[in-house]
Amino acid sequence: MTQMRLHLTFPEERVREPIIYEICRKFPVIVNIRRADISLDSGWVELEMDGELADIERTVSYLRERGVHVDPLEKSILEG
Amino acid sequence: MNSQSAPHQESERTLAEGGTASSAKESKIKGLKCRECGRLYPAVAIHICEFCFGPLEVDYDYAAIGRRISRRSIEEGPQSLWRYQELLPVTGSPTVGLHAGMTPLIHAKRLGKLLGLDNLYLKNDTVNHPTLSFKDRVVAVAMTRARELGFDTVACASTGNLANSVSAHAASVGMKCFVFIPHDLEAGKILGNLIYNPTVVAVKGNYDDVNRLCSEIGGEYPWAFVNINIRPYYAEGSKSLAFETVEQLGWRIPDQVVVPIASGSLLTKIRKGFQEFEKLGLVSPNDRLKVNGAQAEGCSPVYRAFVSGKNHLVPVKPNTIAKSLAIGNPADGFYSLDVVFKSGGAIAAASDPEIVEGMKILAETEGVFAETAGGVTIASLRKLCAEGRIGRKDLTVAYITGNGLKTMEALAGALPDPVSIDPTLASFRKTVNPSN
Repeated sequence: MTQMRLHLTFPEERVREPIIYEICRKFPVIVNIRRADISLDSGWVELEMDGELADIERTVSYLRERGVHVDPLEKSILEG
Repeated sequence: MNSQSAPHQESERTLAEGGTASSAKESKIKGLKCRECGRLYPAVAIHICEFCFGPLEVDYDYAAIGRRISRRSIEEGPQSLWRYQELLPVTGSPTVGLHAGMTPLIHAKRLGKLLGLDNLYLKNDTVNHPTLSFKDRVVAVAMTRARELGFDTVACASTGNLANSVSAHAASVGMKCFVFIPHDLEAGKILGNLIYNPTVVAVKGNYDDVNRLCSEIGGEYPWAFVNINIRPYYAEGSKSLAFETVEQLGWRIPDQVVVPIASGSLLTKIRKGFQEFEKLGLVSPNDRLKVNGAQAEGCSPVYRAFVSGKNHLVPVKPNTIAKSLAIGNPADGFYSLDVVFKSGGAIAAASDPEIVEGMKILAETEGVFAETAGGVTIASLRKLCAEGRIGRKDLTVAYITGNGLKTMEALAGALPDPVSIDPTLASFRKTVNPSN
């Protein structure tokens, strides 16, 4: 089992959709939301995701396909 | 994640016993504190609150520091950022980056005249030691702290200035060094690191892949990852820019500052530096201080949030020549926006041509060759002046954070060719015509 800590940013067109619910149904991962801030037109969620590494990576790919911006909890690590 | 903990144990003993130099009498670091929920942690190599996932910051004992620090004690200190050691998160004497900081504060009269400012100053970190950018400040602090915590290996994820600085400082003290970069980075930037002989790891993947992998590596290996698990200490080094500004202005806080925004940490720490000097009675408060930010249009999530009046940042895919500011989802973006809003400042953004123009006017008026980030700062300063946000009489400081020799490719085609002549006086007179 692996755990990743992720920061998800939802654009306006996705903020009303139950995407967290979808990933829990579609993939064998356990999601634990730790911090979030959602408004009518945008939002972010910070969560822990537990599962096999391959399943977590498939989940991240799915989130990105759905238009969710996925970063590690630290956000952008790669500094100039 | 647990493998990080090994080097930490020593640090707790160090803190409990005090260290050397300033900390011999009483410890100035109480620990780390979550910026969101206020939960307290020991001063070890962690960066995120395990309870709420908020970022951790160094929690100082200002009462203890206040009993030791004075203008005189600072002025008698070394000609480096370590003259402010009392307000930096190290417990012993500095061991890395002993010559970083104390860069010139230039009264920019010619640039000021061009922009309509009578009191414009440039904090010139293009000549910082040893790698010619403000990163030498944060790395000096981060690596001194990392050694105090018992680490023998240092790492970072970077495309430029940070990698240069970490590699050089690691070489100077013989620490093992790992630098992570995207595999398609320009050859020149890779060479600039390889000369110091670190292990340079080119990751086959896109920006997001590199980002995520480095975050995972930072959690798995017992290394001092300066911009991950050492980040609370690393970021504090930026305060020295504010400390030096105040001292070099004759113990005054400016009315306006213009700061480039990448992660947003630099801007928030400059504000914090001013606040700490005020809190300790080293300088009179200046209620007029406005903190302004500068971003490149091609990577401007904080600017976009500012102009829309929102506090949610929308991540972007960077597309700008200002690579050192190209952070699409900045960790301290929200906090920098908050500082700007609360101070009554503003954020401006510069297009790539405006960035080049900013670099040119800075060089032509003040003889300072800045990297693209400096062009962003000057172009944004120009806009803020044109919008009337910065007044002619305001005591204004613009932060120039890196040297132009690092981003020469940005000027390709932007400058005139040299005048070509035959090796004769007649050709010189005819072609150059110096009397015109």
